[in-house]
Amino acid sequence: MKTIAFLLLFLATTASYAQMGKSVRFVNHTEFGGLFGRVKYQNPYAGNSDQVDSKTSLTIQTFNGVQVHRKLSAGVTLGMDWYKAALLNPVAGGLRYDFLGRKNVQLFGTVDAGYGFSWFHDDPEGFSTKGGLMVNPGLGMKVGKPGVAAFTITLTYKRQEAHIEKTPLWDQKQRFEDRVYNRLALRLGISF
Amino acid sequence: MKPKLLLLCVVAWLCWSCNDQCKETRVVRRFSNVTHSLMELRTQVKAESPRTLEQPGKMYVKGKYLYVNEIKKGIHIIDNGNPASPKFVTFINIPGNGDIAVRDNILYADSFCDLVSIDIADPTAPKEVGRVKNVFKTGLFDGGGWSLNESVGSITDQNVEWVTETVTVNCEENVTPNWWWNGFLVFADRAFLSSSSSASPQSSGATNGQAGSMARFALDRNFLYAVSQTQLHLFNIAKPAQPIDFTTINLGWGIETIFPYGNKLFIGSSTGMFIYDNTNPAEPKQLSNFQHGRACDPVVVHENIAYVTLRTGTACGGGQNQLDLVDVSNPSSPQLIKSYQMENPHGLSIDFPTLFLCEGEHGLKVFDVTDKFSIDRNQLAHFKDMHAYDVISLGKTLLLIGEDGFYQYDSSNPKDLKMLSKIPVGKAN
Repeated sequence: MKTIAFLLLFLATTASYAQMGKSVRFVNHTEFGGLFGRVKYQNPYAGNSDQVDSKTSLTIQTFNGVQVHRKLSAGVTLGMDWYKAALLNPVAGGLRYDFLGRKNVQLFGTVDAGYGFSWFHDDPEGFSTKGGLMVNPGLGMKVGKPGVAAFTITLTYKRQEAHIEKTPLWDQKQRFEDRVYNRLALRLGISF
Repeated sequence: MKPKLLLLCVVAWLCWSCNDQCKETRVVRRFSNVTHSLMELRTQVKAESPRTLEQPGKMYVKGKYLYVNEIKKGIHIIDNGNPASPKFVTFINIPGNGDIAVRDNILYADSFCDLVSIDIADPTAPKEVGRVKNVFKTGLFDGGGWSLNESVGSITDQNVEWVTETVTVNCEENVTPNWWWNGFLVFADRAFLSSSSSASPQSSGATNGQAGSMARFALDRNFLYAVSQTQLHLFNIAKPAQPIDFTTINLGWGIETIFPYGNKLFIGSSTGMFIYDNTNPAEPKQLSNFQHGRACDPVVVHENIAYVTLRTGTACGGGQNQLDLVDVSNPSSPQLIKSYQMENPHGLSIDFPTLFLCEGEHGLKVFDVTDKFSIDRNQLAHFKDMHAYDVISLGKTLLLIGEDGFYQYDSSNPKDLKMLSKIPVGKAN
């Protein structure tokens, strides 16, 4: 999984540096927002009946890349996601593509894919959290004059995997959790 | 416009299905009750072709042969003439077997409620020669208990199975509810639950084999001592092939191990260590009871010092992980010399002045115990890349059993063990 992530990163960076010779336009897109989702699970404290909870997590990320085409920029996205029981750092290759729009308002597509690391996550004793693959495609609006800074609002789908080894309970000899966060990510940001 | 609209729809659809999916997988112990007929069980002791280790239990050494218990199923006889390549010779099918003792050509084994004597003069064709019926009333294998129903002639047994179950969880609970831990820890530790074994040099005569700090069988002169959960059974083996049920002594609850040394019997229970005077082997007399906290405690003894390990997370509850040195020069009043903190000590073996101590998943530690007050400062080696339940030191060779197999090491230099061979679980050699 990690190799896939690094491969993506590599591709994204080489794609961007391939354009180096000419005058390179650097692109930064920094955002913060929320990851919204639900979870449906069997509540062991209520006779294993199904229960649905809403989930909200904070997310920040910054995309740094270069413009490879009039409409397309490619680069690396670094982020931080504060899930309730995991703090993950996605490192991803990213693309931003301008679809259409008037001069001041642009509709753009965004996609990031990579690996979420648990470098800064602190586990309780006996637990071990590992991150996993991350993909984050979606759409956004850019408001602002071309050539100068613009405000953005993006609506994306984020899928993040994680694996947690847990201390076995008294009658168990192994316990682990495979976690997939499926979230709607709504972010505000600036781009220049 | 159209493809963009489509894209928008896709994004919207993905967002509506924004449910976190968290699956927790657990390997859980399951019990199922079974009833065995004694009449049938008693026909099943027989030699079979060698098979692989599946769930190795206690080990026992005599001469060039190793006897490794397959929990509840029987005994592997292994030819260890060349420690670098041990060979499976035979498997003796013994239902309900957990313990082994060997004198001369006779092997004693428990089979649920019975004690069976087996002639192993020809290790390739062992045969049952004697049986004492209905001597043990209850027992425990891997956390599952069995009990004897004498009026019907049956054994009510619990089979233990590990099943994998997957449940949906809420992606959050990262911390174990505390009350599980403070609760009843009865089935927690496979090492104690009869799967473990070890040995160390023993005092008894040259014709006996060697058992370990976790053994429940011991031989001394004309007697075989067997501890059950509450009693000490004495069998007269003046005629080795035909053991006779001699007497029983009530000890109290939670008896785990017996270690004969000199004229004493050191009996480990979950509450402490009993010392019995065995000058007259037909009539052991209690000298003292060394009480400590509630914990499992394999014991080995060298001269006037008993080495007792206590660990947590065991069937015995308890909250200590330590090695206790106890002065037993006056056996009627044993005195604590010093306690040393350990990680998760299991079986141990002493080849004075070297002490081998299994630390479960933390590996094997080797100590020089010449200075009894500074053992922790005289750690010779710590082998971390192995799982160690129990160990038998045979001087130059070290036998070690762990979760994944049975190992033999050259221990002529205790600081630098060299692996001679390994019999992995689940694979024939």
